[in-house]
This record gives sequence, structure tokens and C-alpha cells, in this order.
Amino acid sequence: MLTLNNITVDFGGVKAVDNVSFSFQDRELLGLIGPNGAGKTTMMKVITGTVKPTSGSVTLDNTNLNGKAPYLRIRAGIGISQQIVHPFNSMTVLENVTFAAGYIKTNHLFSSLFQTNRTAEKKAAVKLLEILGIADVADAKPENLPLGYIKRLELARALALKPKLLLLDEPLAGLNQSEAEKLSNTLQVLNQQGQNIILIEHNLAEVVRICQRLVVIDNGKKIGEGDPKTVMNDPVVRTAYLGRS
Amino acid sequence: MLFIDLILQGLIQGGVYALIAIGLTLVYGLLRILHIAHAGLYALGGYCALFITEATGSFSLAIVGSMIIVGIVGMAVYRLFYQPILDKPPVVALIVSIGLFIAMEELYRIFFGANGLSYTAAPLQGTIEFYGIYIRQSEIVSLILAFVLISGLSLFTKYTRIGIAWRATVTDPVMAESFGVDVLKVRYLNFFIGSMMAAAAGSMVGLTNNLVEPTMGSIPSYKALAIIVLGGLGNVRGTLIAALAIGLAESFGTIYLGDFFDRDSIAFAFLIIVLMIKPKGLFTKE
Amino acid sequence: MGYEISLLTIMGISVIGALSLNMILGFCGQISLGHAAFLGIGAYTSAMLTKAGIPFLLALPAAMLLSGLIGVIVGFSSLRVRHDFLAITTMGVSFLFTGLVRKQEFLGGEMGIAAIPDPGYGKVGFMLFVFAMAIALTIFSLYIKRSWMGFTFDTVADDEDTATLLGVNVSGYKLMAFALGTAFAGLAGALYAHNVKFIDPESFGFIESITILSMVVIGGTGSVWGVISAAVVLSVFPLWFQFIDDYKLLVYGGLLCAVMLLSPDGISSLVVKLFNKIFKREKVIHVNT
Repeated sequence: MLTLNNITVDFGGVKAVDNVSFSFQDRELLGLIGPNGAGKTTMMKVITGTVKPTSGSVTLDNTNLNGKAPYLRIRAGIGISQQIVHPFNSMTVLENVTFAAGYIKTNHLFSSLFQTNRTAEKKAAVKLLEILGIADVADAKPENLPLGYIKRLELARALALKPKLLLLDEPLAGLNQSEAEKLSNTLQVLNQQGQNIILIEHNLAEVVRICQRLVVIDNGKKIGEGDPKTVMNDPVVRTAYLGRS
Repeated sequence: MLFIDLILQGLIQGGVYALIAIGLTLVYGLLRILHIAHAGLYALGGYCALFITEATGSFSLAIVGSMIIVGIVGMAVYRLFYQPILDKPPVVALIVSIGLFIAMEELYRIFFGANGLSYTAAPLQGTIEFYGIYIRQSEIVSLILAFVLISGLSLFTKYTRIGIAWRATVTDPVMAESFGVDVLKVRYLNFFIGSMMAAAAGSMVGLTNNLVEPTMGSIPSYKALAIIVLGGLGNVRGTLIAALAIGLAESFGTIYLGDFFDRDSIAFAFLIIVLMIKPKGLFTKE
Repeated sequence: MGYEISLLTIMGISVIGALSLNMILGFCGQISLGHAAFLGIGAYTSAMLTKAGIPFLLALPAAMLLSGLIGVIVGFSSLRVRHDFLAITTMGVSFLFTGLVRKQEFLGGEMGIAAIPDPGYGKVGFMLFVFAMAIALTIFSLYIKRSWMGFTFDTVADDEDTATLLGVNVSGYKLMAFALGTAFAGLAGALYAHNVKFIDPESFGFIESITILSMVVIGGTGSVWGVISAAVVLSVFPLWFQFIDDYKLLVYGGLLCAVMLLSPDGISSLVVKLFNKIFKREKVIHVNT
């Protein structure tokens, strides 16, 4: 459903992404991995449209996304959770997710003025908070919450958009082992229930455990693709990870 | 000859703008604050120079005195008004600065009169003529003073230890601090230098016009804001170039566009156009 | 009695002006230091139209429309620049307005426009009309806050990059905020013009923009009741006591400093905090670690 064709991102001589292509099949839990600085987040930004590729194209369900503004791509069905968390600090956790749940109502400028009811969205938001185990902080402001909670808030917000494809940038970073396990279990369950997920992650143990397929990026280039076992045993991949400090 | 005259006027005006703008860009570079109250310090410079001249008869003493006094006041402004809110969003500092500026203008009006003050015996009022162009002595001094101060600043930041430390901190505060630079001292120095230069500008303008009045800081300082944005917030060299460019633009613009725009809006029209084309200003921070 | 009616009318107009800026700055988080220019556009439009014979009730919406249109154009700048840069750009708009109007003879140039026609409601009638407008705008403002548009404005004001990534058309909403805010500013300006019957470029300069900004900021950016209270007090306070009028700007400046240094969210947030302390107990949220 999502295809990246020959994406290159050239930042004034430095190729953050060098001719990378891969595709995402329906119902997959795809892992995008690679050492730090490999270009994974840049790839994600290319998909969301925050970064314009120097060449190449991104296709979602046979529609070329090139030139489409980021907010339109989100509306086309991409939900994301960012590596550096950005909760809306002026609102409570519940309000954060409620807003995302109301994405239909905020679509048209003028119609958003005529809608005031938040009941349905609040309900949906509470459900999501429960799924992610953070319903107990629903009325708290994100500012003083521990990172584990905010990461799950990001995920809940992305899920509230009912995205065709969920892009997660290092959702497990900063979590301790049991938190990370719990969250990746949740992701696995969501995927089994039909949620498409691309997972950018550094936590290899979890990635290998839950992803069906991996794409490996190093220095902007794709150096491996396939099922977790094969990929992790690939000498090229191993050198990329281990041969680095 | 009109051409040369326009250029000369442009440079003189540009020099004044540069003296004001450098202080502004220094504060922004270091603290990310739009120090609008800087305008009040400029006016204070004008007032100080006038009072000292009236009291001692010496304008040279007045300039030096004014620069030192206003330099110190500038440091106090930092301590009292900006330091307490450094951790708040920048819009807070912006509004404090605006409030302070308005308060300063009003205080000048209340204490020294809305119509302003003039020198009883203004020095440097004579005119020099060459090749059909007339320049006032005070304007020449103004240009020279601007040149001296700005070059002095440049040398200071290149060849003295304090200057180098200061320049490093303005460029990269975190790095500088890890090298042991006392960031607080640098901030005070920053405000001292910037305010001192504004005072010099205010003194010279007050003398040239033979009028020091409460709102004299407004227009030049708003323009200085436009200038530092054009020059790249925090970029001293860019600011200097932008200041001269605006001075020249106004000089020529008034002749050619004067029927449509008044002089003061030219700077802003220029600014808005540039910002819309290059939202980060003409130069970005080095 | 006549004096009190004047005060109340001015108060009403100030409330409309402040609430209009509140939509841009308070609701949508876009800093605008040039708001008085839009009051000016409304004032001049209504003045010129009514002097040309067009009835007041037609001139008024025309004034709002023109202010709103130019407001959208200026609003485009908020799509290119943010925060400090936006502040300076909108400051520039303020100066451009006065600079341009001063030079246009058909707008009265430096001398302004005098003998602006009276709408014909009488002093009390006009005051009630102004009040009606102010109340309507208050209701509208409160309504926006409760609507999904207001909800979206909150996200744009909070973090527009994240809002984009949640599918929000940030540009559209910013322009909407500018359109609404400036249109109502035009309303305030037109009412002002017909109230004092004389306008000049200086009435709508940078200092006036800051005056309106003060009302929003001191009252509490975004808080409708805070802004109304501040507008009511700050507009009328200097007129009650003539000698204070001379110190009016000093007070504005001082208050701006004091409020920003002590309670940056405005006086309304102080009031809310006090209220919570006295009447409610803090809700304690437990986090399972």
C-alpha cells in the first residue's frame, strides 16, 4: 500500500538518504532499523512530507504523494508518533487524544466552527487511553508525566486518527525493559487486529520479536531486507551495527 | 552632486542606525530577546549628553559620560527586567520590553517636558562645504564616531581576552560556558556595550537636531528592529551592512517615493518585502 | 449623565477591539503588534462611505469586510514567519498604515477626516448599539472557544508543527483567525469613528496597537472574561480621573512590565489560581510506576 521509489535526500552535498526503495504490504508490521544517524528519521520525514526528497517518489494506495502538504498526507491516512515527544502541554492527556479523535470535525475550516460536541470523541479517546494503559492520567497535563506515559500518549493520539498506516519513530526509546516489552506487545496486538505499522526502532530485541519483516538502512543506503532472522544474520548488517562505536 | 549628497546622507544616517542596531542584535544573539526598550536608552543618551554639556560646557565629556551612564543603566535593565523571565516564552520578554519602553518615554515626557529640550549653546553646529555639498560638523563627528566605535568593537572582540570570550559566548553560549566563561559577566558586558553605543548615537542625533525629546527613540529603534531582522538576528556584520543599506534606501527613497510613502515606512516596506521572500532575513546567523 | 454615556460607549468599543485581537493572539497564538491598523481601516472605510451618503448600517459591514480582507493578506505573513519575526512584521504593518494614510490626500492626509456623520441613534441609542455589538462578540468568542474551531486554534497556538502532523490545516486556521479578528477590529474602528466624529492617522498607530495588546495581555491572553475586564478597566480608568489621563501610558507600560514579570498569563490566571485555592482542593493524580 505504501511504496518508496528511489528516494534520495541530498542536504547540500551530504546524502542523508541515498536511493532507497522499499514497499509496505497490507497488514504488515514492518521494522525500519539501522544504526544511529543512518537516515531512518529522515525517511520518515520524507513520507510525512516534512522533508522534500531530492529525487524519488512516495506512493500511498496508488496516489503519488509528491508535492502534497504534510497535513494532507495525514488526512490521506498516515498517522505518526514522533521520536521527540510533542504533547500539547496546554491540554490534558485526554484532551490531546480527544482532539485527534475529532479529525473529521476539524477537516473543514468552516464546518469546525459549527461543531461543538466532544462526547463521542471523548469516549473514543478514553478507550484508546485504556488500551494503552494510561487512563489513570487522563486528566493530568503532560508536562510532569514520566516519558513512558507521554510516549503512549503520542501513540494514542496517532491511533485516534484511525490511520491506514501507522508510522512510529522510536516509540520504545527511553522506556525501561518491562515498559518496552509491554508497549511492543500492544503494538503486536494492534497489528494482529489489522493495524498497518511501520516501526522505526533501535531496540533490536523487541523489533526482532514482533516484526515480520525488516528493512535495514545504514549511511542512507538500504543494506538489507527480509525476515528478522535472516536479516540479523546477514554479515553486512552485523558489521554495520557492531563495527560502529 | 545630488548623488554624492544622497550617499553621504545615507551613510551618516546608516551610521547612526548601525550604532543602535548593533546593541539590539547583540542582545538578540545572546538572549533571543527583542530588546525594544533599547530605544529608551538611546533617548537617555541624548538627555545625558545634553545635561552634561549644559553643566560642564564640554561636549566631549558629555559623550563619554553619557555612554558610561547609559551603559550602566543598560546593565540594570537586564538585571531587573530580563533576568527574571529568561525561562519564560520569548513573547513575555517582548512585552516586558515594550512596557518598559513606553514607561521610559513617558517618564522623559513627565520629567523633561513633551516638547523636548535644546542646547543653550550647541557645539559643532557649523557647516563644512566641499564640492557644493554642505555637511554639518556634528554629522561628520557622528560618522567618525560610529566608525571608531564599531571598529573598536571589532578589535576588542578579536584581540582582547574578554572580547574573545564574549564573542564566543554570543556565538555559542553552551560551548562557551563549558570552557569556563562566566556567562553572567558576558551578559552584563553585552548590555553595557550595546547601550553605550546607543547612547553615543542618541547624543549625536540630539546634538545634530539640537533637540532631545521623549519620543526620539521610537522611530530609529523600530527601524533598527527592521535592520537587525534584515541583517540576520544576532549577526553583527550583517546588521552593519543592513544598517547602511537602509540608510541609503531611505536617502534615495525619500526623493523617489516620497509622494507615496513617508520616509519612515520605507524601512518597514523594505523589511516586509524581504521577509516574505527570505523569511530568515538577508543573512542568517554565522 | 452625558459624560457617563460617553465613557460607557468608549468602554464598549474597547471591549470589541480587545476581543478582536484576542481571537488572533489569544485563541490562535499569533502575535500581532499592528492591530490598530485594522481598526483604522474600518474607521476610514466607514467614515468615507457615510460621508459619501451610504447609510451607516451598510457602511458598517463594508468596513468589516475590507478590514477582514486586508487582515487575511497580512495574515499570510504569519504563514512565512513566526514569533519574533511575526511581531516585527506586524509592527511594520502598523507603521505602513500610518505612513500610507498620511500621504493620501483623498483620505485626508495628515489632517484626517472630520465631521463624520452621526448614525442618528442619539447618544444613548448609539451606546446601546455598541453594547449590543460587544455582547454579541462576547457570545461569539465564548462560542468559538467551545467549538472544534476553538479546539483547533488551541493546538495551533500550542504547537503548530505537531498540529500539522495531526492533519490540521494550520495555514487555513491561522488565516481564519486573522480574518475574524481583523473583521471585528474593523467593526470597533468604525464604531469609534462615528463616536468621536474625527479620525486621523495617528489614532491608529503603533502605540494604539500596544494599548489594545495591553488589554489582551494584562487581562490574560485567551481568557474572554479576563480580556473584557482589562478592556473595561484600562479604557475607562484614565478618563474617570482627568489627571490620570496624563499618566495613562505610563500606567500601561508599568502594568505590562509588572504583569509579565509577575504573572505572564495575565491577571485572569491569578484570579483563577486564587479561586482554586479557596474553593477547590487540588486534584492529585497518581502515576503507577
